[in-house]
Amino acid sequence: MMTFEIIETDVLVIGAGGAGCRAAIAASDSNQEITIITKDILGKAHTVMAEGGINAALANLDPDDLCDIHANDTCKAGAYLNNQNLAEILANEAPQRVYDLEYFGAIFSRTPDGLIMQRPFGHQTFRRTCYAGDRSGHEVLATLTEELRRRDINIIDEVFATSLFRDKKRIAGVSVIDIRTGKFQVFRAPAIVMAAGGAGRIYDVTTNAQADVGSGYAMAYKAGVELIDMEQFQFHPTGAAVPPAARGRLVTEGVRGEGGILLNKEGERFMKRYNPRQMELAGRDEVARSLATEIREGRGTENQAVYLDVSFLPAKIIEERLPTMLEDFLDIGIDIRKEPMEVTPTAHHVMGGLRIDSSCGTNLQGLFAAGEVAGGVHGGNRLGGNALAAGQVFGKIAGDSASKYAATAPTPVLNRKIIQEEYSRVMTPLEREEDVIPSKETERLQRTMWEKAGLFRNEQDLNAALKFIKHQQEQIASKLSVRNKTTRYNTEWISALELQDMTLVAEMIVRAALLRKESRGAHYRTDYPNPDNKRWFANIIISQSKGLMALKKTQIIVTKWQPPWVTN
Amino acid sequence: MPKNQVVKFRIQRYNPDLDDEPKFVTYKVPYTDRQGVLDALHYIFRNLDSSLAYRWNCRTGQCGSCAININGVPGLACRTVVDPNNNYVLEPLPKFPIIRDLVVDLGPGFRRIEKLRPYLERTSAPGRPEILTREEISSAMELRACIECFSCYAACPAVESAKQEFPGPIAMRELASFEFDPRDQGDRVQMAVSSGVYDCTSCGICKEVCIPKHIDTRRKAVEGLRALAVERELGPLEGHEGFISQIEDTGYAVDVKTPPLTDLLSEVIEVDNPIDEVLFFPGCLINLRIQQVGLNVVEVLKRNNVRVHIPKDFVCCCSVAFRTGARTVAHDMVLRNTKSFAERGVKKVIGLCPGCMSTIKQDWPIVLHEKNKPPYDFEPFDITEYLVREVGLEQINQKDLKPLPIRVVYHDPCHLNRHQGISEEPRRLLRMIPGIEFIDVEDSDRCCGAGGGVRAGRRELSEEIAGIKFDILSAAKPDVIATSCSFCFIQLLDAVKKAGSDIKVMNITDLMAASYRGESLK
Repeated sequence: MMTFEIIETDVLVIGAGGAGCRAAIAASDSNQEITIITKDILGKAHTVMAEGGINAALANLDPDDLCDIHANDTCKAGAYLNNQNLAEILANEAPQRVYDLEYFGAIFSRTPDGLIMQRPFGHQTFRRTCYAGDRSGHEVLATLTEELRRRDINIIDEVFATSLFRDKKRIAGVSVIDIRTGKFQVFRAPAIVMAAGGAGRIYDVTTNAQADVGSGYAMAYKAGVELIDMEQFQFHPTGAAVPPAARGRLVTEGVRGEGGILLNKEGERFMKRYNPRQMELAGRDEVARSLATEIREGRGTENQAVYLDVSFLPAKIIEERLPTMLEDFLDIGIDIRKEPMEVTPTAHHVMGGLRIDSSCGTNLQGLFAAGEVAGGVHGGNRLGGNALAAGQVFGKIAGDSASKYAATAPTPVLNRKIIQEEYSRVMTPLEREEDVIPSKETERLQRTMWEKAGLFRNEQDLNAALKFIKHQQEQIASKLSVRNKTTRYNTEWISALELQDMTLVAEMIVRAALLRKESRGAHYRTDYPNPDNKRWFANIIISQSKGLMALKKTQIIVTKWQPPWVTN
Repeated sequence: MPKNQVVKFRIQRYNPDLDDEPKFVTYKVPYTDRQGVLDALHYIFRNLDSSLAYRWNCRTGQCGSCAININGVPGLACRTVVDPNNNYVLEPLPKFPIIRDLVVDLGPGFRRIEKLRPYLERTSAPGRPEILTREEISSAMELRACIECFSCYAACPAVESAKQEFPGPIAMRELASFEFDPRDQGDRVQMAVSSGVYDCTSCGICKEVCIPKHIDTRRKAVEGLRALAVERELGPLEGHEGFISQIEDTGYAVDVKTPPLTDLLSEVIEVDNPIDEVLFFPGCLINLRIQQVGLNVVEVLKRNNVRVHIPKDFVCCCSVAFRTGARTVAHDMVLRNTKSFAERGVKKVIGLCPGCMSTIKQDWPIVLHEKNKPPYDFEPFDITEYLVREVGLEQINQKDLKPLPIRVVYHDPCHLNRHQGISEEPRRLLRMIPGIEFIDVEDSDRCCGAGGGVRAGRRELSEEIAGIKFDILSAAKPDVIATSCSFCFIQLLDAVKKAGSDIKVMNITDLMAASYRGESLK
């Protein structure tokens, strides 16, 4: 009989990025015991990689800006797939959340008058994006880390959450592996905030940190939680192609903003064939698809990339306006003042996620969600600067809701048999002696998703991807073997478990993409290149039904902004 | 580069559950274009040995997870480009308990920060909107860029000491970031003093390993906090006060025991057919304690037909005052020195003490600017820099150098190597002297523990750091430890004495003078 340790807490937060930290802080305003667990180390989550900033209609530079205009911009960019309730909450509460950060200690860049500085960002009516130099996400997470250290919050680094447990209709707890020792533990909590971040890692090329494999979506799905808009995955047009470990690393839009041009290997400025009017400054998805087409049709470089060139600009301009880019590339031996960068489209952001209401509650009582793992805020495309904002706004709401709920919820009952089964599931890859290696299988999944369910999708490719995913789930998962048997900091073991989460998320994306027989937002079907407003002005909800993945169409929540095809 | 090039990685492996002690395993990794150390680790994990444990997350230098020791120096694996002509030794970040292989428990480092109330301490609610000007926030903002990779902590010689409790450059940076934040009301300077701001030796390795943020913790945090400590009468330490009051009283940091160098020499030392003319700034130690070192500098310059001025009215460069925060004392001395130099009209000022020369190069211009004085009208040179660049290695009088058949190791003074970027020149001079067998040891650039007021103020810590350095240098079994710094020189002499060793300590110009004179050093 296996033994496991049960750790009790009132509110458990899974994930310590911008949303998770904000949730823990909000929850700690109550008298509940708050615990936050992270797969990394506090302060090192993917949030640190956000460079651009955080949107809030402070109207510091443009006095005509309003929260309503921010919400409207958000829905327009989202192709009106957004839950407009959530979009309004995002816009209305973002200013106060920015002030919270400043109160906690964040230092944002300033206007000459000493107000928070705001920069223009793509597809926004006004200058709205508050920033801290080019390390805004780092400033946000560093501040939240400081605030967490001030408060009485249990912070547990380097634990990997494996499964959520239910007590009938409500949440009961979560099992984890303490990565440092390999110990299996169970947290029992009446309220849990899921803030486990995105899933960029299911694609071959991504801007995301290593941790972003999508376990939050997978755990929620397995526990019967509904997910929304999983076909909507944002691809950024410019990620660095080298070095290999950093493949996909974000190359900021600012490079093109300063006049950078895109060239294929023949030296042709190819955007003139796709959008001669806007050229490199066309919409993110259009530029991304143009790059992908060039590479796919053999006009890319050896590194499966195209050139992004600023070397014709005066060196001084590059030094003054793109200092971080200059330094980043110099570090890998490329002087962008003299030679072009190599860039590739890169998987960036999951717009979909756990379906939440305006209190961040899910359909599973006691389970709340915030940040990238939650869906419905951004619709079909996320505005730059809205990810940090959503993390703060919904993190706070989720934390408040969770502590309020936990205050009156009875202690949940854990089912030992189910925990025993989970223990067996997580331990078996360590015990198996087969020849199926997790890292190779992960690479296969990433390549399949990149090639068959990435920027361009069609029925045939998506079916092939689904076939592959089913093969991995049915034939491979039961054979995954960890060659190294130690339980101590065994990343091969963790990756074997992560792969099971990844295939589940991949299945959600592929099934939703198959179902949506049209193109909308970030979802682009070559066999259905146009939007079909009549049949597809709707969200897709995914949930587990009798052990199978069920998808259904549901009506979009519209509050103020009817899409143009409805009003006209 | 040739195809199929292979790079060897020797990696420390250790599983505390199973192994008695760490061991090294060598892996051969095929080189690919623009490969980083993290790429190599991934290659090993995927293709050679999936039991290798290493930590990483963002892979772009923004999260600080992948800091390890790369060929003895802490750094981020993701930001270190592989040189295919090199071999690599990878070890876990030192000073932390090992979890497994390259993964360490950063807990001890975090705990030291957590004790310092590392969050903004406000005493009242701000107005809305809160007004903060660009000027008010610029210092704090710069210091907030830290990604907590702990490379600086791992590299810091003051943290090395087991007995001392210095919480590291990272903690000083944290305190300074709040002290320089106009909103913070915490007693940060008091906290800095009581948690060891005077333990910093000013070696500057913290900035060197701070890639990609390049935070200048020594200057911006440590010296900034020390200046405030003096202003608020919380510093400097007892051991420093003698030096500071000595400067105020006599113009020198040390007292007069033996006839000063300036009494042994005329103000101008004439040579036949001079090729150049310099002003020699000896500094307090050479003038008042180790005059022979100064005589050797003059001898080397004479042998090279350089006309030398030695001003009798020079005063302390005030390095010790700048480094410990006693800035006001320094201002007067800078004005007296620059006036004295200007009267002689010599356009090149040379010195052997890198403490003096880096202060002249880096601190004096700031004082002159603050005092609305014009910038000084001369060029400062370290003696080795002067000999190699100005006289020229080819032009140096080598014909009169007689063989010195000895084994020599070199200690890089931090104030020369890091603060002035001079490391090649001393080595070229050493290699020039006939007969010398020069052993360039790894860790030659490690601090000896003398600087930053630590020798005077924190003697026990200083001796411990010196002992570690002596062990590294003496392991090469040299006859002579060479350096080019009057302060490192006396520090290493003490370390040699303490160890009961018969190894000699000499400056490079001492070796050159001995070679010119044809002395035997065996």
